Amino acid sequence: MKTYEDLATDGGSNIIGQVVTQREKLRGRLDQIKHKIALLSGKGGVGKSSLTANVAACLALQGHKVGILDADLNGPSIAKLLGVPNEEKLKVEADGVHPGEGALGIRIMSMDMLLPTADAPVMWTEGKEATAVWVSTMECTALRELLADTIWGELDYLLIDMPPGSDRMDNIRDLVPELAGVVEITIPSNMSQHIVTKSITKNSNLGVPIIGLVENMATYVCPHCNEEGDLFQGEDTKALAEKKGIKFLGSIPFDTRISGNTRSGKMFFAEHQESPTGKAISGVVDKILEFIESNSK
Amino acid sequence: MKFLCVPCDEQMETQKDGLFNESNRSISLKFKCKKCGHTMAMLTNRFETEFVSKLGVEMGGKSEVSNAPMGMVGSSLAQGKEELKQAEPATDEVEWTQGAKDRIAKVPFFVRGMAKKTVINFARERGIKVIDETLMDEVREKVGM
Repeated sequence: MKTYEDLATDGGSNIIGQVVTQREKLRGRLDQIKHKIALLSGKGGVGKSSLTANVAACLALQGHKVGILDADLNGPSIAKLLGVPNEEKLKVEADGVHPGEGALGIRIMSMDMLLPTADAPVMWTEGKEATAVWVSTMECTALRELLADTIWGELDYLLIDMPPGSDRMDNIRDLVPELAGVVEITIPSNMSQHIVTKSITKNSNLGVPIIGLVENMATYVCPHCNEEGDLFQGEDTKALAEKKGIKFLGSIPFDTRISGNTRSGKMFFAEHQESPTGKAISGVVDKILEFIESNSK
Repeated sequence: MKFLCVPCDEQMETQKDGLFNESNRSISLKFKCKKCGHTMAMLTNRFETEFVSKLGVEMGGKSEVSNAPMGMVGSSLAQGKEELKQAEPATDEVEWTQGAKDRIAKVPFFVRGMAKKTVINFARERGIKVIDETLMDEVREKVGM
């Protein structure tokens, strides 16, 4: 009787061929992007998406071509942050879907852009029958399609705005093995730092390059006099970075105008570059670029 | 997974139509021995189905469904933008009513290509030019598993 190896194909579905085609499509897309950077935190609510959007703005104002993939599938915010309205029609071609063009020409792709209304949730089947495994399965495939089927074109930087937690990192690592590195983000609270250390340890163990640690919402900046004051009581984030053996990229003060700009779709960084927060974002971007440059040599 | 017809010692081939499966809990796939004509069906359980669907591939081979950009996302989202529904049935040889289009769009991604082929072949054999939900009920009655 013939054995498994004796049978040349799988009988007609050509599953392996289909997977290879998917990989080639993804590779073709990613090869046009010079540097891919993930911004993440083990903890939610630390301002990952706002920081990602403003880092993108800083890079765009330096003349780089920038894109953002919103990998937070269930809590997408990048489209709103960069002023791409939910009702904007998708431009679909045979080769892929055009990214949304956000503030400063930043190209974005987000689940939000695929949903018909602003309050539509990401649900993979109608009704209650979706199991946890099914949803997780769909999310892995969705992330691949968002990356591979978006006509990103040539980009200098693709920033990947990660969801809270570090579980999605396994998925990204598989899809983008050439990831330049991850930027870990925390706020100066004990709870955030406690959780972010797990994310740092996980990425170290996975061999994912860690660009460094950012302390977001480090202080509060008065919008009237630019004076700073403490927001949280936590450990020294710089010391935490040293303890984990990674670079400290900087402290970014909280500025209430960030959320105001979010609502208007304008970029905070573009309008307040000289504010303490704007300067701090610039400083973080400089250190990210130093890392990229030193690792490119 | 491969299937062998034991009496003939021949690989069984995937039948690319003849199935109309509207459930995402199980994959139904027919295999036929080209030597003796014996046909069998492979039915997967929910966990096997979820594993296969993770790959984003189509049973029975690639069709225009898997070629459509964001085909899996567009067709699997309970609420997705209309522009994403690129994998709508072709209208060159038969006409699909909107109800029929909506229904075929609900067939799971990984078997939709085969289901479309099944419906089109069923209509073609009977000289039917318009595919509506009544016809799809008939297809399901005759070949659905």
